[in-house]
Amino acid sequence: MSINWLVNKIEYSLFRHRLAVLVIFLVATLVLLWRATDIKLDAAFSKNIPLKHEYMQTYLKHEADFGGANNILIAMCDANGDIFNASFFDSFRKAHDDVIYTPGVERVLVKSLFSPSTRFIEVVEDGFAGGPVIPADFTADAQGLARVKENAEKAGVIGRMVSDDYSCAMITASLLELNPETNLPIDTIAFAATLESDIRAKYQTEDLSVHIIGFAKMVGDVAEGAKGVVLFFGIAIVITTIMVFLFSGSMMLTFLPIACSLIAVIWQMGLLTVLGFGIDPMSILVPFLVFAIGVSHGVQMINSTGKRVAAGMDAKTAAQTSFRKLLVPGGVALLSDTVGFLTLLIIEIGVIRELAITASLGVAVIILTNLILLPVLMSYVKFSDKYKQRVAQPSVKADKIWFALSAFATPRYAAVILIATAALFGYGYLQSQQLKIGDLHPGAPALHEDSRYNQDTFLITDRFAISVDYINVMVESIPNACTSHDIMDRIDQFQWQMENIAGVQSAVSLSSVSKVINAAYNEGNPKWRVLPRNTQSLVQASSRVETSTGLLNADCSVLPVMLFLEDHKAETIERVVAAVKKYGAELGDEQTRFALATGPAGVMAATNEAVSAAQQPMMWYVYAAVIALCLLSFRSVRATAAVVIPLYVVSVLATALMTKLEIGLTVSTLPVIALGVGIGVDYGIYILSTMSQQLRDGMPVRQAYFEALKERGSAVLFTGITLAIGVSTWVFSALKFQVDMGILLTFMFIVNMLGAIVVLPALASLFWRTKQK
Amino acid sequence: MYNKLYLSCFSALFLLQSSALLAEDFDVDMANVEPKAAVMAPLATKALFTDVVTVGERGYAAVGDRGLIMLSADGQRWQQSVVPVQALLTSVYFIDADYGWAVGHDATILHTQDGGVTWQLQQFLPETDKPLMDIYFFNRQQGMAVGAYGMFYTTEDGGKNWQATFHLSLVSADDQDFLAELAETDPEGYLLERESVLPHFNRVTVQGEQILMVGEAGFVAVSDDAGQNWRRLEEFYNGSLFDIHRTATGSLLVAGLRGNVFRSSDDGDSWQEIELPVSATLHSIFEDDAGHIYLTGNAGALLQSQDNGQRFTDLSQPDGRAILNGLPLAKNLILVTETGIKLTPIGKSE
Repeated sequence: MSINWLVNKIEYSLFRHRLAVLVIFLVATLVLLWRATDIKLDAAFSKNIPLKHEYMQTYLKHEADFGGANNILIAMCDANGDIFNASFFDSFRKAHDDVIYTPGVERVLVKSLFSPSTRFIEVVEDGFAGGPVIPADFTADAQGLARVKENAEKAGVIGRMVSDDYSCAMITASLLELNPETNLPIDTIAFAATLESDIRAKYQTEDLSVHIIGFAKMVGDVAEGAKGVVLFFGIAIVITTIMVFLFSGSMMLTFLPIACSLIAVIWQMGLLTVLGFGIDPMSILVPFLVFAIGVSHGVQMINSTGKRVAAGMDAKTAAQTSFRKLLVPGGVALLSDTVGFLTLLIIEIGVIRELAITASLGVAVIILTNLILLPVLMSYVKFSDKYKQRVAQPSVKADKIWFALSAFATPRYAAVILIATAALFGYGYLQSQQLKIGDLHPGAPALHEDSRYNQDTFLITDRFAISVDYINVMVESIPNACTSHDIMDRIDQFQWQMENIAGVQSAVSLSSVSKVINAAYNEGNPKWRVLPRNTQSLVQASSRVETSTGLLNADCSVLPVMLFLEDHKAETIERVVAAVKKYGAELGDEQTRFALATGPAGVMAATNEAVSAAQQPMMWYVYAAVIALCLLSFRSVRATAAVVIPLYVVSVLATALMTKLEIGLTVSTLPVIALGVGIGVDYGIYILSTMSQQLRDGMPVRQAYFEALKERGSAVLFTGITLAIGVSTWVFSALKFQVDMGILLTFMFIVNMLGAIVVLPALASLFWRTKQK
Repeated sequence: MYNKLYLSCFSALFLLQSSALLAEDFDVDMANVEPKAAVMAPLATKALFTDVVTVGERGYAAVGDRGLIMLSADGQRWQQSVVPVQALLTSVYFIDADYGWAVGHDATILHTQDGGVTWQLQQFLPETDKPLMDIYFFNRQQGMAVGAYGMFYTTEDGGKNWQATFHLSLVSADDQDFLAELAETDPEGYLLERESVLPHFNRVTVQGEQILMVGEAGFVAVSDDAGQNWRRLEEFYNGSLFDIHRTATGSLLVAGLRGNVFRSSDDGDSWQEIELPVSATLHSIFEDDAGHIYLTGNAGALLQSQDNGQRFTDLSQPDGRAILNGLPLAKNLILVTETGIKLTPIGKSE
């Protein structure tokens, strides 16, 4: 009663002051359009990290000493398979210097053959000698190059700085979070563009190829690919427009919902800028979703208004009535979407929170643009007689179809449908239990396997013994821990245990390096590759290792064990993390802790755990929100159940589909599940809101459903198909994650629609069985 | 190396003073060290291995890092044995198919009576912080173990008891005089100094009653009475030597630091330097049934001689990993390297 009163009140004030409403919307749109033009693609490493996670606390604690996980690897390869020639070394040295002076690079951590910290140690008769791998008097002639090759071998950098087959050399750099000159956050995308223009474009020749990988480069490539989204957006608008025209048969009725949906997008982008957010490449799809949802609600509105005009109402009355009829179901549906998206805020990862804000903001503005502005605009439309006649024609054919479909609400069909649904649900549930967390494929999962970035990744992991997939276990101990044989030995034992874990390609720590140095002190004899028990000898070995290696901090109280992994599949990371915990507990004590984790794979471990931990609560919250809003609007447990059960079945089936298609649950796919619920609930609410009143009045279920289909069935079918066609074009995207999202959303749109048309009436016939007698 | 030796003597003396303060900590530290059993590891064969030998008819045994002892019947598939210590093992010797001993760091001596399946710890002296480098048994009872800083142990009861032994004849002539003097003036200092005047003993090779031993700073010594009396050979090289071998035809070969190989055809009276195509430190010399001689060493060094050690051809392994020892097996070599045990066909690698 109070809702009706409120709706009437709003309706009265809106349609009394239509012009004022239009002016307000116009001004707001202009202002926000002006702000929206400022919107920037914005990607920062820290946004992708679950900063509150235990591992990331360790990461942040040591970031100042050891640098972050935001690294860049640049491999330069000689086309003839041998880097030891003058022209290669010339380019390589220049590239090394260019990398050092690229803004955003932590200069002291730039490593290559040319960095002064790259040194070798050699045993000679009277002790042992050492020096920089590239000597000060280096000239790139045959002799000089032969010497560098020899030194590189002695320095043990083959596999790290020089590829195993001597065809490539590596420059590694670490990125800062803030630019020290401007004190502003580093613009990751601009940085990636700089690498492209100042390194790759500058040095790539027929004889020399450049391969760049690392988070910043990946984001740059994703942002590059994300620009293609504009194209998909255009295609989607065209397809939708044509479909709406075919549906409505009127230019004006096509234009209005499309325009209002675009206004929603403009508002969303403008508001984001006002609130100080950019748009992350990962959330680039959200504007499209907002447009799609807007059209879906807009079509309900024009459908309703058109039908009323055809029934003889004037435009204003028809628009006003439609507004009153649709504000509650539309509002509830959109509020469910908004709340659904807001639940993503519980995941403490920056990008997902931004997505939550971006998406919920967008959906919330649809309430204004498509439930308020659209009917007000429609009240001005002059409907031609031709249109009225066309719509008013009793559509016998359509009614026949609707009547046939309404059989779903008869007990006989319902039984079959419900059994089939239960079977599907059972199958889907079993499949969904197999859902894998994290990235399931090597390379950057956001990009296609044949993308340049992933090809570069494969080349580097293939030719070098290292990759960006490493995890650092931070051994936190007492100051001068490296002088204690006991502690160093425990680190060594830990490393050996970890090296024996499947998926660990190689490992390095101060202990393992000190052992090699101790052997070097003993004439390079590997039989002396031990940690001396004597403190002086131990110090002699370990003190040759500089802090710039990242193997110790200044007071030797933190000694990372770096574990290079074969890949970053979630199961690999999980296995390694479990082993770290097991052996860390065995070998650690109060004084010496084996703390997880830094390094890119450490970040992934934390992200996987955060995503996996968030999945269940997120679903609970989304469904709690949907159920609460349905209960509020229908005031009926049965009606709520009829809407929510098909929705849940679809959620489970979507998860099963992810398992089938080997799409892991990641930062980019987790939100799709919440988005799917938000989008899917619309159909059910529209159908059932018409039915529930009639059912309350005692109409048989089949009759009530038939009436609902006549009024809204075409709009529901139409939106489901239109949106599905729109998102299905994403499978042609340059971005792998967009393809995944496209597939999942297409599935959600279609199957949710089927759920509302097929399963919902079957459930209704079960729930309202007594009334049928 | 002489320089280094003197330097270490000097610093040892110097440290005597300063370590008086620290000595307590170390003693406490090391007295508490208990031997820990080697960890069974899936990737055991990928670790550093230092020695490989035949075990009678049973097959082969290899020893290496972290107390790893591996057994194999065919030289391809290896099984890790249960070992009560994690020290880096440096050498292994089997007197027959059942009885064997292995030595390593912490002056560790291990013994097996079942062909290497299970091992018992006979000696573990972490406080010495020194490695034993080689072991030899004349029979099941009598044996000797040698190692760094002149460590020399003998046993008469199969290793139930090991006695530290000191042979003044193994000390260089100059140091012999120095020691003799010290023995009179400062008996305590004499005992300490005795510990540091001897070179590292790296390898013993035995033929009948004759023992050949090589070590640090060009050290070569011979005993013709099973180790009772020793005679140092005249110095012909001042770098470390890591192996000595008597070829089937009776010539002697020594190999050592930075690709230094010397050959003697007169029982060690005169030595000729052999030119090698590589300059890596060499760890081992061995010979196959055809009389081909092999040298292995750092940086993947693998050389073969078909003329009794006069000329060597380079068969070095492209992976550049140190090869510590090897064993011929039909047309293959079992090589123990710093990155594991491998079976390689004999011949030039591509």
